[in-house]
Amino acid sequence: MSIQNLNTFDPFADASKGADDDVQDGLVHIRIQQRNGRKTLTTVQGLSSEYDLKKIVRACKKEFACNGTVIDHPEYGEVLQLQGDQRENICQWLTKAGLAKPDQLKVHGF
Amino acid sequence: MAEDEAKKKKTTFDIDAALAEGNTENETTNNIDDAEPKDEEQDDANVDIDLDFTKKKKKKKKPFGTDDLDAVAIESKEEILIESGNQEDGTVDDNFDLDIDFSKNKKKKKKKKDLDELMAEAEEKAAEDRENADENSTLWVGSDRDYTYDELLNRAFEIMRDKNPDMAAGKKQKFVMRPPQVVKIGAKKTSFANFTEICKMLHRQPKHLLDFLLAELGTSGSVDGNSQLIIKGRFQQKQIENVLRRYIKEYVTCHTCRSPDTILQKDTRLFFLQCETCGSRCSVASIKSGFQIDGYTSSERTIPSYQLQLLHFGYFQFENQIEND
Repeated sequence: MSIQNLNTFDPFADASKGADDDVQDGLVHIRIQQRNGRKTLTTVQGLSSEYDLKKIVRACKKEFACNGTVIDHPEYGEVLQLQGDQRENICQWLTKAGLAKPDQLKVHGF
Repeated sequence: MAEDEAKKKKTTFDIDAALAEGNTENETTNNIDDAEPKDEEQDDANVDIDLDFTKKKKKKKKPFGTDDLDAVAIESKEEILIESGNQEDGTVDDNFDLDIDFSKNKKKKKKKKDLDELMAEAEEKAAEDRENADENSTLWVGSDRDYTYDELLNRAFEIMRDKNPDMAAGKKQKFVMRPPQVVKIGAKKTSFANFTEICKMLHRQPKHLLDFLLAELGTSGSVDGNSQLIIKGRFQQKQIENVLRRYIKEYVTCHTCRSPDTILQKDTRLFFLQCETCGSRCSVASIKSGFQIDGYTSSERTIPSYQLQLLHFGYFQFENQIEND
């Protein structure tokens, strides 16, 4: 028999888990940046560090037929970078793969 | 039994005599149906016929399957309601209107296609709608049948609109905005000509909107002497519009009541949106440009070297740096 009041409860359990992706609410930010001409870059920031981003990027590259890398940023952590406007693609892919829920995704840019 | 009822209904309707001949045809073909759809049909037929002589392309007259009719009727009714709500703003303001009702995006987009035509149509429809409404409200006065939900709903809305006409337009929150004037400057820059004007319309600090725009577009830019915003990179009006729309949704309209009558205050590093209409107050997300790839980053954020030196000597700290830390 267990008495609920006597159970140990760690109030910081979820805090410590959420801290590593320092973005608020665990949002995944998908941004676009214009390069020269009509070329663009897509960045995905805020994916949980539990995932192996290198594997993700490998799959993405294959799926979208574009190049991409993982960039380690001191402030934002590991950021996925893909060539071209892959915002739609990455949104669909992330949800399909179950890496992020649709309401976690936040698409920036025009 | 159902048939009996239906027949009774038919006669009452005929007595009402507000309906055209098409109706009776309709009745005879579908005599075996039970009472409920009948009522619907009556209305539908009504709407259908009325709409027919405005030559709406989407109205198909022939098929009389109840399902079809229902669908058409609901659609058309909805549209009439929406259009009637629309036309006040639409006619007064022939600027492009940036509508801030996000729940009805699909409809809006359709609407924006051809404004002139649509406006004329809307007027027509509105006039017609009045007639329609009158007919609808009187349609079942004489009869003692059960009223359908749709009829009662319509009636309630009509009464509501009659009693306070200023609310009629605001059935949903309307927020008309001038479109951003976006002009290309050379190959690599874009000018947002009426930037300050739009800031004024939104009652927001130009700096705040500027920060947001630049963060979202992931570029750099500045306001020049003619109070226009010069953005690096090539952007089209539509793209800027999208970003503006997002800005308005997040930082202008009240999150509770969607009223655009709000004030943005800064309170201990956080922005709060205070609504003047409903009095709600909530914090809004801070503007973060997030990760920017080097070489394309906004040059604004970088600190000039002479200031950097001073910084090293500890002479002063930047305001925004204090906030960031």
